[in-house]
Amino acid sequence: MTHYLTEISRIKNICYSNKSQIDRVVGTRHFIIHNFEKELNLNLLSRVRFTSKFHLLRLYKLYYGQTPKQYLIEKRLEAAKQLLSKGLSITDTCYDIGFESPCSFSTLFKARFGLSPKEYQKKATFTKSNHS
Amino acid sequence: MKVKVIGIPVHDQEKALKFYTEKLGFLKKIDIPLSEGNRWLTVVSKEEQDGAEILLEPSPNHFEPAKVYQKALFDAGIPYTQFNSEDVQQEYDRLSTLGVEFSVKPTEMGTVKIAVFNDTCGNNIQIVQML
Repeated sequence: MTHYLTEISRIKNICYSNKSQIDRVVGTRHFIIHNFEKELNLNLLSRVRFTSKFHLLRLYKLYYGQTPKQYLIEKRLEAAKQLLSKGLSITDTCYDIGFESPCSFSTLFKARFGLSPKEYQKKATFTKSNHS
Repeated sequence: MKVKVIGIPVHDQEKALKFYTEKLGFLKKIDIPLSEGNRWLTVVSKEEQDGAEILLEPSPNHFEPAKVYQKALFDAGIPYTQFNSEDVQQEYDRLSTLGVEFSVKPTEMGTVKIAVFNDTCGNNIQIVQML
């Protein structure tokens, strides 16, 4: 057995022995993946996995290193890139991925990718036409 | 600052290029000849061609400590680099069929699933899927 295999086994026993907690956070993440465009909040997520919201928040951060809200925003912004590349308008993209305000969507998008949705769309269209 | 290039030490750049493109499915991005047969050689993920480039650098052939460090990691089974995958089991099945050797078969580690393979260029590479 290599040193790495020994370490994997050791760390697994120390950090990942609580299967019920892991099932809860993995289930929450999957729920976000399949429902990110809907109105999601901590109250709803905690009801889905029968956990108190503060406990869920703590567990999610412990196992994924970010809060459910941070992951939700990340998931929505990744989806936004795909919709913008397909030519959907910025306002339609914003509402399709679950944001309520085009302004806050644009701010988050720019902070995340360094380009505004409009700039990103222009770049994506240019790249596509260059490849075709 | 931006992360654009990540180096992976390899014994043989041409062999590495074949492995990373033909087995892993990456695309060659930059190939510039340098002195003494060395190249500035990078590959990118097919699914993320604007993403970070992997520089296949022949450092173990030119700098003894790099060679020693790479060998120590390899012998201990420790992966030098990690790539993300949507489905580790599927990737394991696909690469196994192509003859790629795995030192860690798909294994769940809490909220991730990992596997480790030999890149035939002196490195263990880990693939990881967020569960």
